[in-house]
Amino acid sequence: MSTLMKGNFTPAQAVESAPQQADSLEQRFEKEALKKLGGSIAFVAKKKVLWGDEVDNQDATE
Amino acid sequence: MAKILFINPVVREEDDPRHVPYGIALLAAIAMREGHLVQVYDENAWRKGPQVLHSVFNADRWDVIAIGGITTAYGSIKNIVRQARRECPQALIVLGGGVLTSLPREMMGFLPEVDVGVVGEGFITFPEILAMLDAGGRDWASIDGTISRTADGGLFISGQRALLEDLDTLPYPAWDLFPLEEVYFPNSQVLFSEEGMLAKRRLDINMSYGCSLVCKYCYHLGIAGDMRYETDANEDIQVAFDQPKNYTRSIRYHSPEYVVGLVKYAREKYNIDFVVFLDENLMTMDQYSKRTWMSEICRLWVEAGLQPTCLRDGIEHDEQCTGVHWSGTSHATLCNPEILKTMRNAGCSHLVYGYESFARHVMKTIGKGATPQTNLRSFFWTLEAGIRPIPNQIIGFPNEDFAAIYDNMEAWKKLGIVVKPFFATPYPGSEWFTVYRNRILEQYDGDLESYLLDLGDATRITAVISHNFNAVELLGLRELMLNFDYKRIRAYEQYWRNNHGIKDGAPSTLYREPVQEVAVTKITQQKVATG
Repeated sequence: MSTLMKGNFTPAQAVESAPQQADSLEQRFEKEALKKLGGSIAFVAKKKVLWGDEVDNQDATE
Repeated sequence: MAKILFINPVVREEDDPRHVPYGIALLAAIAMREGHLVQVYDENAWRKGPQVLHSVFNADRWDVIAIGGITTAYGSIKNIVRQARRECPQALIVLGGGVLTSLPREMMGFLPEVDVGVVGEGFITFPEILAMLDAGGRDWASIDGTISRTADGGLFISGQRALLEDLDTLPYPAWDLFPLEEVYFPNSQVLFSEEGMLAKRRLDINMSYGCSLVCKYCYHLGIAGDMRYETDANEDIQVAFDQPKNYTRSIRYHSPEYVVGLVKYAREKYNIDFVVFLDENLMTMDQYSKRTWMSEICRLWVEAGLQPTCLRDGIEHDEQCTGVHWSGTSHATLCNPEILKTMRNAGCSHLVYGYESFARHVMKTIGKGATPQTNLRSFFWTLEAGIRPIPNQIIGFPNEDFAAIYDNMEAWKKLGIVVKPFFATPYPGSEWFTVYRNRILEQYDGDLESYLLDLGDATRITAVISHNFNAVELLGLRELMLNFDYKRIRAYEQYWRNNHGIKDGAPSTLYREPVQEVAVTKITQQKVATG
């Protein structure tokens, strides 16, 4: 029986935990790095990167 | 033959010990090659304190106690040399490394227990000290690269020691003398990439020394050609480093054959699966070699069978992967897509970029030779190559202002950067330290030693060199930046402007220094990689 809810009576419907998908290696890494954030630990959350920025080459040689 | 005790002092006490001290490992190997008797006690790895140190000091009759480290190891060094002097009155205590080199006269004053200091690179100087000791001499002043005590209680800096020309003459580091299985391999993980996270048996290697750039916050330990001996008005020699518009550099790197040979040796002997290249800036070397050095290392890496199987087979990395992954340092302006792809193919998992700031007006003042645009360009090139860029940031630059804060937050949001910036810190030996020395001392009641004891890895605030913000403001602003709290930052900007009498629309800065161009650096090369 699920123990997600606790009380002094039995609800009409049981609450079961949904099966969770295992984290990908990328997700695992980003979670671990976030826990240790600071100092030299910084990272790129790959799913949040906005791709497609044009880089002005003239500025780049400044 | 001298009986030598090397001690590695504690550094970054807040973290687990993760790095075999490369310099001590090399000096121990050199000493053994010369036939001396060597023991290493790695206090940073063991962290057992004075009781065990007592046993170490009394384990034999030491001729030499050698200790060294970076500036932030000063507190530990101070305690260790005090105890060493008390317990081993007969031993010659030698101090070297960045901690001594940046402030040789001051260090010898703070640490009266030290007999001889090695200024700059110790590869030649240290064995010469040992040879003199063996011969019964004590004339340290006749050995270049030393600072020693005179009969009248003064200090004498001998001639400047030339840097070792051919780095390939160095023996392999004496890794055997450090607690690899007990301490370092269990702490192999480096949380910079997936491959680094799964690393089980990591070692670190330095394949080059120096950097052609003139970042004002960098200290190169006196081994990058950055150190000059100057004579002051009293005819005393003073050791000087980067100063505004006065920079010197030497570029030195191991041959690709040495590098790959060393990694292959480490793989065969210790079964390593990851190497962190500690080099200041791999791309400086690659550019200096006309783009031959890094690609040749990568070619030999694959040829030697070191390429990780996940990359060879084009599959996702996991615990079953064999081979050696690696990481290093890059530079926003000096990298290019071709070399990044080549590095990835050979096993590079992440590259540390000191992006520092995404504000153009800040980047113009720091001597890095990079811009927000080159930061962006290299960021995407690196990701496209399959390498994780580590986007380090700094807050509290001399001309840091609200505009810079907003520029950084915008860039973090757009690029998915998750970062808690370092605080701009003027380490001894850096140009900032030279320029802001009086201002730093004011913050420590004139007590330089207090400042040295306060220094850490720049995650904590120490001396502030921002012209616009004090320590409290920088701490608060950093926290608000992390939460992308534009509302509170804007509200504080209004308060700040009122306090400083700066109208809306005008630049939010009190910084009045002219923006300096990146100076031309005088560079010499002491070894050309032949590939």
